Amino acid sequence: MKIALSTLAGAALALGLIAGSAMAEDQGIVVYNAQHESLAKEWAKGFTKETGIKVTLRNGGDSDFSNQIVAEGAASPADVFLTENSPAMALVEAAGLFAPVDADTLAQVPQEYQPSTGKWVGVAARSTVFVYNKSKLKENRLPKSLLDLADPSWKGRWAASPAGADFQAIVSAMLELKGEPATADWLKAMKANSTAYKGNNTVMKAVNAGEIDGGVIFHYYYLGDQAKTGENSRNIGQYYFKNQDPGAFVSISGGGVLASSKHPKEAQAFLKWVTGKGGQDVLKTGTSYEYAVGKGAESNPKLVPLADLQAPKVDPAKLNSKKVIDLMTQAGLL
Amino acid sequence: MSFLELSGVAKNYGPVAALAGVDLQVESGSRTAIVGPSGCGKTTLLRLIAGFEAPDRGRIVLDGKVLANGGAAVPAHRRGIGVVAQDGALFPHLSIADNIGFGIARNADRRAEHIVELAYIVGLDKAILKRRPHELSGGQQQRVALARAMAMKPRLMLLDEPFSALDTGLRASMRKAVAELLEEAGITTILVTHDQAEALSFASQVAVMRDGLFSQVGTPRELYFQPRDRMVAEFLGDAIIVPARIADGFAESRLGRIAVDTQERRDVARIMLRPEQIVLKWTSREGMSGTPDMLFGEVTDCEFAGSICTVAVRLLNSPDPPDAAAIGNTPLILRRTGMDAPAVGEIVRLTVTGKAHVFA
Amino acid sequence: MQSAIDMAPARLPAAGMKKRRSTSWITLVAALISLIALLPLAFIVWVAIQTGWDTVVALIFRPRVGELLINTVLLVIVTVPIAITLSVALAWLTERSDLPGNRLWSWLSVAPLAIPAFVHSYAWISFVPGLHGLWAGVLVSVIAYFPFLYLPIAAALRRLDPALEDAAAALGLGPWRVFARVVLPQLRLAICGGSLLVGLHLLAEYGLYVFIRFDTFTTAIVDQFQSTFNGPAANMLAAVLVACCLFLLALEVIVRGEERYARVGSGAARKQQRARLGRATLPCLLLPAGVALLSLGVPFVTVSRWLLAGGADVWRWDEIGLALGQTLFLAIAGAVLATIAAMPMAWISIRAPGRLQRLLESCNYIVGALPGVVIALALVTITVRVALPLYQTLFTILFGYALMFLPRALVSLRASIAQAPVELERAASSLGRPPVKALWSTTIRLSAPGAAAGMAMVALGITNELTATQMLAPNGTRTLAMAFWSYSGEIDYASAAPYALIMVVMSLPMTWWLYVQSKRMAGR
Repeated sequence: MKIALSTLAGAALALGLIAGSAMAEDQGIVVYNAQHESLAKEWAKGFTKETGIKVTLRNGGDSDFSNQIVAEGAASPADVFLTENSPAMALVEAAGLFAPVDADTLAQVPQEYQPSTGKWVGVAARSTVFVYNKSKLKENRLPKSLLDLADPSWKGRWAASPAGADFQAIVSAMLELKGEPATADWLKAMKANSTAYKGNNTVMKAVNAGEIDGGVIFHYYYLGDQAKTGENSRNIGQYYFKNQDPGAFVSISGGGVLASSKHPKEAQAFLKWVTGKGGQDVLKTGTSYEYAVGKGAESNPKLVPLADLQAPKVDPAKLNSKKVIDLMTQAGLL
Repeated sequence: MSFLELSGVAKNYGPVAALAGVDLQVESGSRTAIVGPSGCGKTTLLRLIAGFEAPDRGRIVLDGKVLANGGAAVPAHRRGIGVVAQDGALFPHLSIADNIGFGIARNADRRAEHIVELAYIVGLDKAILKRRPHELSGGQQQRVALARAMAMKPRLMLLDEPFSALDTGLRASMRKAVAELLEEAGITTILVTHDQAEALSFASQVAVMRDGLFSQVGTPRELYFQPRDRMVAEFLGDAIIVPARIADGFAESRLGRIAVDTQERRDVARIMLRPEQIVLKWTSREGMSGTPDMLFGEVTDCEFAGSICTVAVRLLNSPDPPDAAAIGNTPLILRRTGMDAPAVGEIVRLTVTGKAHVFA
Repeated sequence: MQSAIDMAPARLPAAGMKKRRSTSWITLVAALISLIALLPLAFIVWVAIQTGWDTVVALIFRPRVGELLINTVLLVIVTVPIAITLSVALAWLTERSDLPGNRLWSWLSVAPLAIPAFVHSYAWISFVPGLHGLWAGVLVSVIAYFPFLYLPIAAALRRLDPALEDAAAALGLGPWRVFARVVLPQLRLAICGGSLLVGLHLLAEYGLYVFIRFDTFTTAIVDQFQSTFNGPAANMLAAVLVACCLFLLALEVIVRGEERYARVGSGAARKQQRARLGRATLPCLLLPAGVALLSLGVPFVTVSRWLLAGGADVWRWDEIGLALGQTLFLAIAGAVLATIAAMPMAWISIRAPGRLQRLLESCNYIVGALPGVVIALALVTITVRVALPLYQTLFTILFGYALMFLPRALVSLRASIAQAPVELERAASSLGRPPVKALWSTTIRLSAPGAAAGMAMVALGITNELTATQMLAPNGTRTLAMAFWSYSGEIDYASAAPYALIMVVMSLPMTWWLYVQSKRMAGR
C-alpha cells in the first residue's frame, strides 16, 4: 500500500514536472485567441505544419483580451490577436498598439472586410440571427427589426448573452447606426424584456428547449450543433432581419499583429496564412461555419450566402466597445 | 409494599448478561447502596431504574406505579427520578444558574429565588451562579448536579458514583453532607459505587453485586460481620478465613477455640474473622511457657504507613487444624495503629474478641 | 489529531537567549507573509481611492449592485439553513440512530465533496435543462456544499457526552426537548464553522451559478472582467463582495461566542446508545438515500450518459494527458508553496502564541476567505501595472494559489506541530543531537504526515479551481477544470465528461481521507 502510494506520488510528480517544463519551454508566437478555440487550433495546426513555427494559444474573449492588451501595453506577451468581432480590434487599434498589417496580407482581403486604417484585417465574418422555437413562434409573428424587441409585447420572450462580446458587437453596430439615445433606450427596454444567459450556445439551447421563444445570437451555432448531435437545435428556426437593419449586422472577426511583438515576422506570416487560402479553406471545410472573407474564398455551402444578408454598412474601425459597455452597465445589464 | 420494588429485572447486551434477574426492595426515605466491582452490572441497574434503558425482563415498581414491565417502560422524562452522574454531567453551554434551573419550567413563579435557595441548600455560594461549569472544581460541580436534580423534587434520587472523581478528603465530607441533605429532604436514595467504605458508611441498606446478581442484601453491619460467602466478605474489607470444626456455639481451629454466631451448627466449615477482632499483646518467649490455652505468634513482617501499620504474625503454638494440609502456617495479616508498630521477631499474644462468622 | 484539539496552547517556560532570537526571526517571517497576504485587500482599497469617490459611488450604488446583493444574500440565507437542517438530520441518523448501513450513508454524505461544484451544476443542467434561478441555485448549492456542514456536525455528535442527554431526560425533558435544549446548543460550534465555510463558498463560486444562470457578485465580477479586463467596475463589485465575506466572518465570530463545549469532568464518556428507529426506519432511510441520489446519482448518471454518448472519441488522450500533467504540476507546486509559506505561522502559533500571532493568523484566514476571483483580479492588476516581469508567470499563479489556500495548509500544519511537543525536541538535544538535527528528528518527522495532509488539501483545492486559474494562468496553460469549462461552455457536454470524471477520481482519495480523519478526531 505504502509502496503503491509512493509510486503513484512519484508518477504524479514526474508527469507534473514534464508538464511544468512544457509550460516553460519556447512558446513560438503567442496568439491571444478570442475566436472559437477549435477554429484557432485548426489554424495553428495548419500554420505550424506548413512553416514549422510553433503557435501557443491563450484562449479568452474579445473584451477581456482587448482590455488586457491595453493594460499590458508595450509589455504584452502577445504577438497576434484574433477576435470574433471588430469592436475589440478597434479598442486595441485606438490605443495604438497594432503594427500595420503587411500589404500582401491586406491584398488578400476585400476592402469591406478590413478597416480603412489597415492596422488589422478581417479573418472571418458572422451574421446576427434571430433564433426561435418553431413550435412556439410562427413565422408571421417574428419581429421585423431588432428594435422591435424593445416593445413590451416581447417582455419575457427573448434571450441574449449580454456579457458576451458577440452581443456587445451587435449593440455597437446599433450605436453606430442609430446613435446613443436610441441605443440607451433600447438597452433599457432590453433589461426589462430579455432573459440573460451566459453564452450564445446556452441561448440557443434554451430556445430549443422551449424555455423562451427566441434569442439574438450569431448564425453558426445552429449548424455547429446540427453537425454534432443536433440535440440542442432540433426545434430551432433561424431568421435573418436583412433590410440593413441593425439586426442584420455582419460582424467581422479580426486579426492583428501587436507592435510590441518580439516575433513580428512570424506573426505577420501567421496572419497572412490565416487570410490566405489555407486559413480560409478551414472555414469552408471545418465545423466553425463562419463566413470566409478572403478574396475568392468560398464559405461553407450550407450557409445563406453573405451577399444575400443585406447587412448594414458599418466601418468596423468606428465600433466603440467602451461606450457600449458603459451603456450596458448603466442599463444594469452588466 | 416497599417504595421501590424490583423483581426479576434482567438486561442483556448482545450475548452479555449485564443483569441476570435482580430483586430489590427499597423502603421510603431510606438510603440504599449498590456496591460491586466494575462491570458487575450496577450502573446498568441504575440506568434501568432511571429509565434510560428498558429491561428485557422483570418489573420495576415505584410507589405502586409500574415503571417497567418487560420491554414496556415509562421513559426517563416521565419518571420524576433524580440522577446525579459520576462527573456531574453539567451542561457546558449553560451557566450554573441555568444548569440548576434546567428542570424548572422557565415561566415558573420565583424561579430565580428557587435556584438561589437550591444553591444555598447544597452549599454553593451565590456568586458562583453566573459562572460556567468548566470554571468550577469537581466538588462544586457535584453540588450543582445535586441541586439540579433536587430542583424537580424527585421522590427517588439515584447517585452514580458521584464522589469517585473527588479527592479522598473531600469525598468523605461530601458523602456526609449529601447523606444529611437527602435525609432532611426526605428523598429516598440509591447510591451506586465500587467503594465499599462509601457504601457501608452511606447507606442503611447495602446490596453487593457480582456478575449481574445480588450476592447479598442487608444492613451494613449484617453484611460486614455476617457475609454470605467469601466474596462478599473480602469485598467489604480484609477478612481472616480459616477452616474450623463447629460445635455448641464454638469453633475449633488453628486460632484456638472461638465463639461463633450460631448455636445449631455441628460440622466442619469455614469461619471468618475481621482482622480488627484479633487483639495483640506484647510478650516474650518466656511469657509463652505455662499457658497452653493461649495463642502466641511471632512478628515476621511489619510495614509502617503512618497512622496504621500492617503486621504479619506467624502462629507459634497453633492447635492442629482440622485440615492442616490445606492451610499450612501462613502468617495472619493484621492492622495496628502506627504508634504500636512492633519490631520483626517480637512475640505477641493473640486474643479474639467478639464472635466469628460461620460461612454456610 | 485528538491531542491537537484538546491541547491548550502550550505555555512554555522562558527558553534560553538563542531560542528567543530564533522565535523572533520566525515571527518576522510570519509577519512578512501575512503582510504579503494582505496585498489583495490593500489593492482593493487602493483602487477605490484611485477611482475617486464619485465614481465609486456611481459604481456601487446602482440598481445592478442592489440586484446582485439581493441575489447573493438570498442565496446565502436560504441555502445555509437548509444545509444545516439537512446535515443535522443526516448526522443524527448516521451517528445516533440504528439506521441500517449507517457507515455507508455516512460516507455517502461526505462523498459529494469529491465532485467539484461546477460539475454538480453541469450534471443538473443536462438532467433538467430548464433549471435556473434562485431555487435551482439553492438546490445545487445545498447538494454540493452540505458535506462541509455534515462533517463537523457528525463529528461533534459523536463526541457528545451521552450522560448530558440522560441528565436532561432525568430532569423531565422529552426526546425532542432534549435535542433542542442540550444537543443542538452543543452543536453550535460545528454549525457555525460549517455554515461559514458554506457561506464563503457560496460567495466565491462561479461555475455553479453560470450553469444555472443565477447572477451573484462573483459571476458579475467575471462578466465585468471579461468585458473590461481589470476595469474599476469589476473592482468595485469585488469590494462589495469582500465586504460580504468580512461580514460573514464577523457574524460567525459573534454567533460562535467564546464558549467552551468540552466535556466537563473526568472519566471516560460512556458509549453512546443509538436510538431505535423501529417503524420509522423505512421513512428515515429515504432521507440519506434521497440525498445520495441527488448528490451522487445525478452526476453519476449524467457523466456516464455523456461518456456513453461520446464514446471513444471524447478521450483525446494527448489533450487530456497534457491537462492532467499541468493540473498535477500546478497542484503540487502550489501545495508545496502554500505549505512552506504556512510553516512559520504554524510554528509560532504553537510554540510562541500571543496577541501578535493571533492577529497575524487572522489576517491569513481573512485572505483565505476571499473568493479566488478577487485575489486573481488583484494579482492581474498589480502585476500588469507595477510588476510586469511577473505578469502571467507561473510564479504569479502559484502565489495566488498560496494566498487562497494558505489557511488549509495552516490548519493541518498547526495540528501536526501541536502533536510534536517541544519536550521531544529538548530530549533529542539532551541526547546529543545538535539543534537542527534535533528539530529534524523530532518535530519535523512527527509533523510530516499532517503537513502532507495539508498539502493534499491544497492540491485538491487547486485541482478544482477555475476562475483564478483562468485569469492568472501562463500562456498555454490548460488545466482539467479549464478544459472542462471550455467544452461545457460550447455545450459540448460529451467532450467535457472525461475531464469531470478525472477530477472526481482525483478528488476521491482526499475526500476519503477527510472522512476517515473526521472519524478519528471523534475518537473512533
